[in-house]
Amino acid sequence: MSDDPLEELHTDEWEAEMESVLEETEYDTELGLEMAKDAQRLVAGDLSEAEFYERYHGAVVEEFGVDDRPVGTEEGVVEAMRGHDGPGLLQRLADAETADDVDRRELLKKFGAGAAFLGLGAAATKEASEEAAAATPTGSEDDDGTQWGMVIDLNKCDGCLACVTACQQENNTSTGANWMYVFTYEEPNQETQNFLVRPCQHCTNAPCEKVCPTTARHTRSKDGLVLTDYDVCIGCRYCQVACPYGVNYFQWGEPDTPGSELDENHVYDERDRRVDSRPPKGVMGKCTMCPSRQDGKMGEEQVGTTACEQACAMDAIHFGDMNDPDDDPQQHLERVRNEQPNDLDTYPNRPTNTVSTFRLLEEFGTDPNVVYVGNEPSEEAEQVEGPVTYEDIGEVDRRKEVLDDGTFGGVRS
Amino acid sequence: MSTDASEADILRPIQRTSRQYYVLLGAVLVAIGLFVAAWSYQLYHGMVVTGLADWGSGGGVTWGLYIGAFIWWVGIAHGGIILSAAVRLFGMKRYQPVARLAELLTIAGLSVAGIYIVVHVGRPDRIVTSILLNYHETIHSSPLVWDVTVITLYFVMTATYLGLTLRYDVTRLRGELPERFEPLYRLMTIGYTEREDEIVERMVWWLALGIIVLAPLLLHGGVIPWLFALIPSMPGWFGAVQGPQFLSIALTSAISGVIVAAYAFRRTYDWAHILSDDVFRGLTLWLGLFGLLFLWLQLQQVIGGVYAPSNDLGAVTSAMVTHPAYVYAIGMMVLTLAYVFAQALDPTVFSPLRSVIAGVAVLTATLVEKVLFVVEGLMYPTFDLYASIPGDYVPSLVELASVVGTVGIVVLFFMVVAKVVPVIELHAVEAEHETEAEP
Repeated sequence: MSDDPLEELHTDEWEAEMESVLEETEYDTELGLEMAKDAQRLVAGDLSEAEFYERYHGAVVEEFGVDDRPVGTEEGVVEAMRGHDGPGLLQRLADAETADDVDRRELLKKFGAGAAFLGLGAAATKEASEEAAAATPTGSEDDDGTQWGMVIDLNKCDGCLACVTACQQENNTSTGANWMYVFTYEEPNQETQNFLVRPCQHCTNAPCEKVCPTTARHTRSKDGLVLTDYDVCIGCRYCQVACPYGVNYFQWGEPDTPGSELDENHVYDERDRRVDSRPPKGVMGKCTMCPSRQDGKMGEEQVGTTACEQACAMDAIHFGDMNDPDDDPQQHLERVRNEQPNDLDTYPNRPTNTVSTFRLLEEFGTDPNVVYVGNEPSEEAEQVEGPVTYEDIGEVDRRKEVLDDGTFGGVRS
Repeated sequence: MSTDASEADILRPIQRTSRQYYVLLGAVLVAIGLFVAAWSYQLYHGMVVTGLADWGSGGGVTWGLYIGAFIWWVGIAHGGIILSAAVRLFGMKRYQPVARLAELLTIAGLSVAGIYIVVHVGRPDRIVTSILLNYHETIHSSPLVWDVTVITLYFVMTATYLGLTLRYDVTRLRGELPERFEPLYRLMTIGYTEREDEIVERMVWWLALGIIVLAPLLLHGGVIPWLFALIPSMPGWFGAVQGPQFLSIALTSAISGVIVAAYAFRRTYDWAHILSDDVFRGLTLWLGLFGLLFLWLQLQQVIGGVYAPSNDLGAVTSAMVTHPAYVYAIGMMVLTLAYVFAQALDPTVFSPLRSVIAGVAVLTATLVEKVLFVVEGLMYPTFDLYASIPGDYVPSLVELASVVGTVGIVVLFFMVVAKVVPVIELHAVEAEHETEAEP
């Protein structure tokens, strides 16, 4: 490797490839190329961030009509670049350059297209915008705020139900209220067992929230978590009716764990709203993606983690900010995509990789924030007993068996 | 027959109380007591005492008899006032003797429907604060809030309507009414002058118009079916047919309710000359018409769900049409229609009692159909990977007690009201007198 990172990157081949990428877009190729070069200088330290933005402000306005970054003072520019969504441009560019598992093509995109327009909110190339659409929740491409979510790699899941146990222990949910649920299922004419890990999907367009008559079911504005305010919920169960995934579990009777035994730091979130741990009697509960952890109430080291993720020995669950390309979910996606590249030399029109990803029941327009790696179960898929059963972990799969004990004069089913 | 005699007729329930009345009152209070006890038990132990459970991995349904009965009562309530409004708007004078009974049925039906909302939720103590304080936000998106809004509006309109028309009667019959309710009568007729009669008539006409428009568009053809029809992940519910379907069920239930209530009063107070066979014959024909609409809309759903359905729609439709409860509901409707057609062809087939039997059959059919609709919808969601799907549900005794109790409340309401104000409009007997005077 040469001493000057730019030298290695800035080759004729690179420039030709950059040109072809940028020409596919409606934007000015020369401008993009110039900005890309300067972005590299920026990384190398030859150019300050303020200089970079001063240099391109006019051209950017002309090309895109807007440049909403404050320019004028160097401080202002730098501040704008450090921005509200994590590390500054410099840091991001440096990260991109040094990341081992980022292939040359990815790097090109980041430098040639992404870097030039970072902070603008506009995708610079067709490819980049398609990539962004695939990697971030639909409809939120322009939203740079935190959106907690998960990438769950079903190819890694072995159906051990450790996540189910961990969730139950973390939240003290009552027997059968499996906030985290794992399907073992078979497809017709296939020998293999498949798994589907089903937490709440924390939808951006959550039907449960839409139908709620009280605002108890709400999306936390700071990080997109879909939560239930246990002090507002009236227990009408319309959220459970409207959710296509079946992730809601009502507290039909007294919870197995009394309120006095709950850790106070694990009940109220930082807004002082009672949204975490198992619900009290008469209100709705579901997977929360651990807001107490995300608020730092369980210690700073737990921010960005969930109980299920930590329990997963197979590294199938990747929790994090879906909008942050450097966070665990997107990094995992990138990793598996890089591991399975397509033969683009022979078939240049094929997708860049052969990884299958999906969001569950996307056709209902819920914009779920869980992305799965693996195959989506078909309509013929049938749930079967898994390698580890719910009974094996001391849980109950079909909750009605537990609830029927409390039914008055009902018929046991 | 003189006008005075007719006045005496409609005053009879107020002035005469038989021993049977007290026996019935006792039975009704037992029924209500049963319901109160069951509900108290539920409040103490939680919703776990019902037969409900979580759908999905839970293997149950989260809505059941309570919601089915809620729709059923709103349906009965809904059609009652439509009948009464039609009397005023379209001059259907024939039905004027049952108009007030229909209005009272609306008030009673809406009230018990409201009770069902309270009984159905896990934290009824929060209903007022949680719904009202967030109303400005939730009214934009929650069909349940739309429901509460429209039902309240409907209740207010109906109560106003009834209150206004009662002023005329109470003023004129004041001397004959029991003294112990004097403060109530004074309150009801406060500021009354004869000059208001004409104005009240116009107001009532406009209210009737509002009710006629509001009911199909917003209530039983609107927000009530939208609770279900707007949920795309439950194929048994989703779709545009639910609006008309709910409306047809509401109208058949309501006409049946009016037939049953009117017959009870006719028998008890010898009102065969006021609530005549002719009135029952007319109501029976309406029952036939709405019953036909009901069956036609069922046909639409069934044919769509069995011909070339998507997997999820096919599953719920075939489960529904083969369910004994569905066969019962449709069977009762078909038998009722057979009776209506038979009595149209051969008038000797008709008798008010037979129409009452048909009405009761229809009422049980619509209740069963509504509960089945709710339950089956939840048992067959699109996402059916769970081995526990379809779930199962048998209403618990606690839930069944609510049906007995709410029927008791409605009967009690009629029994009490009949002792305080005339349940047949003075106009109706006046009109009868005028009609008789004509050549």
